[in-house]
Amino acid sequence: MKKVFLLLIFSNFIFSELVLEITEGTEDPYRVAILPFKGDERLSSELENIISNNLKRSGEFYVFKAIDLLSIPDNEENIVFNDFKILNVDYLVMGNINNGDVVYEVYDIRKRSKVRSSTVFGIPNKNRQLAHYISDGIYEEITGIPGISSTKILYVTQEKKYRLMVADADGENEQILLESKEPIISPSWSPDSRQVAYVSFETGMAKVFIQNIATGEREVALVNNSQISSPAWSPDGKFLSLTLYQDGNAEIYILNLRNKNLTRLTNHYSIDTESSWSPKGSKIMFTSGRSGSPQLYELDLKKFNAKPKRISFEGNYNAKGSYLPDNEGIVFVHRSNTNFQIAMKYFDENFIRTLTIAKMDESPSISPNGNVIVYAIKDDGMGLLAGVTLSGAKFRLPTTKGAVREPSWSGYLR
Amino acid sequence: MIFSKFNVSFLFVILFLSSCSSMNVTEETVYSGDVKTVQASTNNEDISYDSQAVFANATIYFDFDKTNLTSKSLQTLKSVVEALDDNSQLNVVLAGHADERGTREYNLALGQRRADAVSQYLILNGVESNRIITKSYGEERPIANGQDEESYAKNRRVEIN
Repeated sequence: MKKVFLLLIFSNFIFSELVLEITEGTEDPYRVAILPFKGDERLSSELENIISNNLKRSGEFYVFKAIDLLSIPDNEENIVFNDFKILNVDYLVMGNINNGDVVYEVYDIRKRSKVRSSTVFGIPNKNRQLAHYISDGIYEEITGIPGISSTKILYVTQEKKYRLMVADADGENEQILLESKEPIISPSWSPDSRQVAYVSFETGMAKVFIQNIATGEREVALVNNSQISSPAWSPDGKFLSLTLYQDGNAEIYILNLRNKNLTRLTNHYSIDTESSWSPKGSKIMFTSGRSGSPQLYELDLKKFNAKPKRISFEGNYNAKGSYLPDNEGIVFVHRSNTNFQIAMKYFDENFIRTLTIAKMDESPSISPNGNVIVYAIKDDGMGLLAGVTLSGAKFRLPTTKGAVREPSWSGYLR
Repeated sequence: MIFSKFNVSFLFVILFLSSCSSMNVTEETVYSGDVKTVQASTNNEDISYDSQAVFANATIYFDFDKTNLTSKSLQTLKSVVEALDDNSQLNVVLAGHADERGTREYNLALGQRRADAVSQYLILNGVESNRIITKSYGEERPIANGQDEESYAKNRRVEIN
């Protein structure tokens, strides 16, 4: 992932549904013209809308509509490249719909050539998914990085009941995974995105459950008399790190999911919790109160009897860390004065970058391509989900009413 | 069970065929993303607030990010110990809570430490440990919903029931 300079002047959000706020710091966006797909006018405008929003939300694209253009070619032979060049269009996307399947092509205006030809086979009633696949193909072709429109986000809502929800990365297409009268916290995806682990209080005490998304089958991760919380899957999906309370204090363990063997990682009288795995699974980061206030520590799993190493030093509250997917740094919750904000630190820099400026931001979760962070905010006491991209765009997700919190981003699903 | 073979509807194929030198050609099929909704059956073993807990019902409050008992709390706890001494059948559940500031998992651990602090006091004062259950709700069950110090102070508590 390339480091993009983040301009930290974020004005207040303005809302309707999905609000896109691209800050002035955005560097040269890719300028893309998307022509209506031929063959199905209704479906085309639905797809166009979703694709255009997906690209804009990344903060890296400026999208031209047909009406902004000088000429509308209806096939490859008719493209007048100069008509696009004059408007500084970098890429042109055109396509055909045939029976719910889409063939689309991406043209590089400067090179005057076709750089991609892709077919996406649709399935009935999954037009959003179709649009997300096309968006991800376009995004990947142009940026060289896999797109995340076809990924999903888990989160928890609270109205009369608590619900564990899953939705598309744009907040649409919400579905309920679990409904309970008792709190649900800390949802976490398995690396193959087919299972989720979470903490449910349904038995009267915090316990970790593992649930298959498609079948609804679920089980307790570990049978134990005391509380269990804070599940995180190892990158290979074979282990789950957990916080156990059986020792009279919060300690981090690794559970082997195959044989249910437990390995204790921490041993300290202060709180140790919120474990997360490095991208290759060789390190575990966690929050510990051992210095007197919550700070982030790292444990090297390859070393025998390794001592936790403190890795956060600015301020008196740094918690719930997660690694960037390329292992170049970490994202975490940082308190400055009385405000809780989302912050980032690259390992090769000796300062932190705060990404948000509200009062009560929490639960950051990073997209699988490392370009976007989704997190929970409080607006007028109400929980909502917001996102910030490393290119400086900010947005909020249009989720259902009720307090929304605890977002967790899936891996790639495509 | 959970780890059995996965639903075949997730079949999605991505073919990267390189044709001419610099053009990517791909083919893929949208996956269904089917979801099954589950209802949690709450089998809550909480002791009901108005039946058993007549004598030992109390709430102990704490400072921000702190788990130590204040002198005011000790007064309350003394009467809880007396109630437990007088009623040997009585058991207590100590449920620790935190205010909403800070992360949820850290607050869950903080709530547990608060419940443990109360538990230790009771045990030191002669209450048998098998009469005590401790647990935490972290910041998940506030009793005051405001975003101000007054509400936060009410939420940093251990409920004795």
